[in-house]
Amino acid sequence: MGNSKDTRGDKTVFRSLGLGGFYGGGAEGMVDVKDGKILRVRPFRFDYKYEREKIRTWKFEKDGKVLEPTWKSMPSPFSLAYKKRVYSPNRIKYPLIRVDWDPNGERNPQNRGKSKYRRISWDEVTTIIANEIRRIHAKYGVNAILMQGDGHGECKTINTPHGQPGILLDHMGGFTLQVRNADSWEGWYWGAKHVWGQGVQGMYWPAHNIVKDSTDHSEMVLFWGCDPETTPWGFTGQFCSSLMYFWKDIGIKQVYICPDLNYGAAIHADKWIPVLPNTDAALQLAIAYLWIVEGTYDKEYVETHVTGFDKFCDYVLGKEDGVPKTPEWASTKCGVAEWTIKALAREFARKVTSIAHYFGGGYIRGPWSHEPARLEVCLLGMQGLGKPGVHQHQLSYFGMPRMEGLTGTSFWNPEIMERLALPVLSSVANWQESVIPKTLVHKALKSEEPLKFMGTGAIEASVVSQFKEHEFPLPTKDGSRIRMIWTDTPCRTTCWNGGNETEEALRSPEVECILAQHPWLENDCLFSDIILPANTHMEVEDIVTNIRQGGQFADVMLCHKAVEPVGESKSDFEIVLEVAKKLGYGEQVSEGATTEEIQRKVFEYMNLDKLTTWEEFKEKGYYLYSAAEDWESDPAGFSRFAENPEKSPLGTPSRKLEFYSERLAKHFPDDKERPPSPQWIEKSEMHDERLSSPRTKDYPLLLMSNHGRWRVHSQCDDITWTREAPTMKITGHDGYKYEPIWLHTSEAEKRGIKSGDIIKIFNERGIVLGGAYVTERLRPGVAYIDHGARIDPIIPGKVDRGGAINTISPDGVTSKNAVGQATSGYLVQVGRVTAQEWEEWRRENPAAFERTYDSGAGLRFDAWVVKEGVK
Amino acid sequence: MKAFIVDLSRCNGCYCCQIACKDEHVANDWTPYAKPQPDTGQFWIKVRETVRGTVPKVKISYEPGMCLHCDNPECLNVCKSEAIYRREDGLVVIDPLKCTGCKLCADYCLHDAIYFNEDLNLAQKCTGCAHLLDDGWDVPRCVDNCPTGAMKFGEEADFQEQIAKAEYKSDSCKGRVYYLNRPKKFVAGTVYDPVEKEVVIGATCTLKDKYSDRSFSVETDNFGDFWFREVPEGEFFCSLTIEKGGARKTIEPFDASSDVNLGDIPMRLL
Repeated sequence: MGNSKDTRGDKTVFRSLGLGGFYGGGAEGMVDVKDGKILRVRPFRFDYKYEREKIRTWKFEKDGKVLEPTWKSMPSPFSLAYKKRVYSPNRIKYPLIRVDWDPNGERNPQNRGKSKYRRISWDEVTTIIANEIRRIHAKYGVNAILMQGDGHGECKTINTPHGQPGILLDHMGGFTLQVRNADSWEGWYWGAKHVWGQGVQGMYWPAHNIVKDSTDHSEMVLFWGCDPETTPWGFTGQFCSSLMYFWKDIGIKQVYICPDLNYGAAIHADKWIPVLPNTDAALQLAIAYLWIVEGTYDKEYVETHVTGFDKFCDYVLGKEDGVPKTPEWASTKCGVAEWTIKALAREFARKVTSIAHYFGGGYIRGPWSHEPARLEVCLLGMQGLGKPGVHQHQLSYFGMPRMEGLTGTSFWNPEIMERLALPVLSSVANWQESVIPKTLVHKALKSEEPLKFMGTGAIEASVVSQFKEHEFPLPTKDGSRIRMIWTDTPCRTTCWNGGNETEEALRSPEVECILAQHPWLENDCLFSDIILPANTHMEVEDIVTNIRQGGQFADVMLCHKAVEPVGESKSDFEIVLEVAKKLGYGEQVSEGATTEEIQRKVFEYMNLDKLTTWEEFKEKGYYLYSAAEDWESDPAGFSRFAENPEKSPLGTPSRKLEFYSERLAKHFPDDKERPPSPQWIEKSEMHDERLSSPRTKDYPLLLMSNHGRWRVHSQCDDITWTREAPTMKITGHDGYKYEPIWLHTSEAEKRGIKSGDIIKIFNERGIVLGGAYVTERLRPGVAYIDHGARIDPIIPGKVDRGGAINTISPDGVTSKNAVGQATSGYLVQVGRVTAQEWEEWRRENPAAFERTYDSGAGLRFDAWVVKEGVK
Repeated sequence: MKAFIVDLSRCNGCYCCQIACKDEHVANDWTPYAKPQPDTGQFWIKVRETVRGTVPKVKISYEPGMCLHCDNPECLNVCKSEAIYRREDGLVVIDPLKCTGCKLCADYCLHDAIYFNEDLNLAQKCTGCAHLLDDGWDVPRCVDNCPTGAMKFGEEADFQEQIAKAEYKSDSCKGRVYYLNRPKKFVAGTVYDPVEKEVVIGATCTLKDKYSDRSFSVETDNFGDFWFREVPEGEFFCSLTIEKGGARKTIEPFDASSDVNLGDIPMRLL
C-alpha cells in the first residue's frame, strides 16, 4: 500500500475526560498531539503500559454469561469531542473589562447582561482587582466578598477549576461562601437521611458490592427517574450501558418509571410507565396502600427493622386525613392507570427488586423532593431492604468491586496541603463563618431583610446540621451584605433555581464589582464587570485520581500538558496567584511548591508508595489498580443490617429505618411540607405547582427537566459535532440552533406546533425559546427540556433565546426548611412565538439580534467583545 | 479482506462513532487518503435514529450508516477520473488528488455514503481510516470509540459466524458492512378488566394476517402487556384476538405495516 503516513503525532498524553471535577476523575482518555495542536482524543487503553496478566480484574457471572472489563475506557461523546471545547470560538482569549464599568467612576450595574467588553492587560486587570479587594475589605469588611467556587468541571487536582479564589480570600481573613447544595440529589439529602440516617449524599450507604449482589439476586430493577444512558456520562463514561445490556442478558427485568422515554428506557426498558412529573409520591403511596391491605410486604422485617410503621400506615390508609391512598386516588394525581399501578405494586412485591438511580433530574429535583425520596426508602424497607437483591443503586457509582490498596484521599482533607484542600472544601462544606446556600444567592443579593435558613445544604454536612438555623448577613459585627462577587462558577443563571431573578439580582447597584474567571464567555460571565481567561485541562500539567466508581478500573494518572494555553489564558490556580502576588500573598497561596512536588505529594496521599515506586509511576505515567483478591466476599449494602439490626444498626436515633421521624417531629412540629412521616403534598406556601392549581388555567403543562444528554449541566453546549445530534439542538428557520423542547404529538397538535418550529415555554417568571421536538418519547401533559443551555438573553431577566430553562424555575427552594433546588415539576405553557413578539423583542433590545453567531458552535466570544480600537 | 460488523442490538445511540470520524478527519489532512472533512454537515458515518410506536409502547432504533466498502462499488464504476480505487484489503477510497469534483459517484452511491465538499471541490467519504491501518493501528476510529462493542472491524474470515447471521441490503454492490439484529416491527398493547380495574395476566393474544394463514401467539405478562416483537416486514393487515377463561375480545383488522401500539384494551373477564 506504500502510502503509510506518520499518524501518531509527536506525543501522547493521558487525561481524565470526565467532567465531574474536584475529587476523582473518570472516563480516561489518550490525547495525541501534533505540532502543538490536539490531533485526536481517544479511549484509554488500560493495558498501554501494563501486562494484562499482572492485573487482577473483577468478573460478574450468571447463567454462563459474563461481564468483565474490556481494557478500554468508554468515554462519552462530549468527552471524545473535547478538542472542540479547547478550540471553541467561545473561548475567552484575554482579560476583559466591561466597557461601561469604571472602578473610579460610573459602574453602570444596570447594563450587566447588555454591555460588551474590551481587552485589558493582565497587569492592569490584576491591579484593578487587587485595589477593589482592598477597597471592599476596608470599607465593608471581608465578608462583603462572595466567592462562588464550587461544582463540576474538568478533572484536575493541582489546577482544579473551582474554589481557588477561596485560598487567597481565606488567607486575607475570610469571605462569604456560596455553599453548594445537593444539586442532583436533593431529595435524598433532605428526605432519605431522615429515614435511614446519613448515607452518602443521603443515598443508600454502605452500598459495597451491590452491583454483584443485584446481578446475582435481583429479578427486577426499577429505574425510577433514572437514566443510565445519560447521567453517568459526565463522570465515568458509558460503563453503565454495558452493565444494562448484561443485566438484560441475564434476565433482570428493567422497568422505567419516568415522564419521558429517556435514553436508557429507549433501548433497555421491558416496561415504561410514564408518570406525570413530580407526582411519584402518589404512585409510591398507592403501592404501599396495596401492600398493606393485601399483606404483601415483609412483615417480619418491618417488625424488627422499622420504627413508626403504624403512623405511616395511618396516613396511607387514610386514618389520619380521611383520604385512603388507593390506586384510584393515585391515578388522578400521577396519571398512571389504576390497573398499571396495581400491576406494578404486585410485581414489586412478587419479584426480588432493587431501585436504580444515577443522580437525577425531575424525580429528585422538584418541589418537596424529600417526599418521593423518603417514600422510596419506605417501599424498599417494606420489601426487606438489604436482603439479597434488594438495594438502592447509585448505579455503579457505588457498589462496584473493591480495588486492592485503593485507600482514596478526600481532597478536602485538611491534613493535605491547603492548596489542594481548600478549593475542594468550597464544593462540599460550609467552612466559612459567613455563608449563603447556593439556592438563596439571588435572594441574598436582593432581599432587604436578613435571610434565615435551616442548615446550609453543604453536601458533606450531617443530618443534624439541618436543625441549625443560620442567618445572612451574619448578625455580628463581621456581617456584611455582598458588595463584590468573585466567581469561577458562572452558571447560576442556567443551572440553578430562579435564573431570571438571578439576572435581576446581578444588576444590583449594591454589588459594586463582579469578577468572573472561566474558559468560555457564557452565562453569568455576561453579567460580570471583569472576566479573566481560565484555561482547560489540556493546557496544564496535572495529576488525576480516576477513582470515582462507575468505570471498569481505578487508576491514578499523570496528566502532562498537551498543548500551550490558548490566547493569554491561565489555569484557575495561576489566575488567583497573579492576583495574590499583587496583594502580597503569592507565597502563602503557592506554598512555594512546584508542580512536580505536588504530583509527588498526591502520589503519597494515595499511598501509592506502598504499591509502586515514584520512578515506575513516572515512567508508566499511571498506576492501575487490581481488583482486591477477596472483593466477592464484601457484604452487600445493608445486608448486615438486614441480617441483624441489633448488631449492625443504622445511624438514625432509633437505629432503625424511621418511617416516622421523631427528630423531625421535634424540630419542625409545624412543617406541613416535610412532616415526620412522608406524605403527598398538594400545595404549600412555597409552591403551587400541581395540576389542581388554578394556575393551570394559564399554565396547564408540567415541566420536566433532566440533566442533559449532551452536556454536563452547562458544560459542552458549544461542541459543533454533538450539536448535530437531533436531540441536542434544533435549527430554527432563522438558522439559530435552539434547545429542543419535547412535546407529545397530541399536545403539539393542540397548539398547532410542528417539529422544528421555534416555540416558547413560559410562566409568570419569563419566557424561554426553544425548538419543537414533537415526539412519542414523552407522555401528554408534559413539556420537557434539559437544563444547562447557555443563556442568550433577549431581554435579561425576562426572555431567553438560548433555552436556559432554569431562568423560569420556581422562586422557592425544596421546602420551607430545606434549601435545596426545585427546578423540575412545575407549571408552564408552551406556544408558538408570534410575529408581534419577535417584533417587540427586536424593538426593545436590537443588540440581542445583532450578536455574532456561529451556526455550528452557537454563541461566540466576539459577540460580546468590542474590536480593539473601537470604543 | 476487511469487514465491519454492526450489531444493532448493542447500539446505544451514543454517537461516539460519528464523533470519532470527525475527530479524526476534521481539520486533519490525511492526503493521499483524504483531505479534511468539513466541521459540520458531513457524516462519513452517520447515526440514524427512529422513534417507533406510541406512548407508552415506544422504542428507539439506532443505526450507524456508512460506506459499505462494496465488492462491486457503483461509485468506482462510474468515476471517470479513476479517482476511486479498491485496496487489497477491500477498503474503497476516493483519492483526493485525482478527484475532479464531478459528483457522479455521489449520485450513484446507493447508500448515500458520499458527501461533496464544496470548498475543496471533492467527493469525500469513509476511508475505513486506511491511513491508520497502514500505520499499524488495529481498527478505524469509529470502532475504537464504540463503548459497547456494537461495532467490530477485522478480517472477514474471522467473522464468518456473524456474517452468516447478517442482514444487509441485498443490492448488487455486495457491501462489506454487516448488520446484525436489525430491529423488527412490533404490535403491542395492554389488556385490562374495566370493572375490576386490573390488568389481565396470562391472556392468549393471537395476531392473524387478514390475507393468509399466518398467525402469531403470545401471552400477556404481569403488567397485562402483550408484545409481538417479530411482526413480518412490509404491508400487513391483521386482526387480534384476546382470550382468557372463556372471555374473548377481537380487534378488527388494522394496518400493521409499521409498529403498532393498540393501547389499553378493556376486556371483561367472565
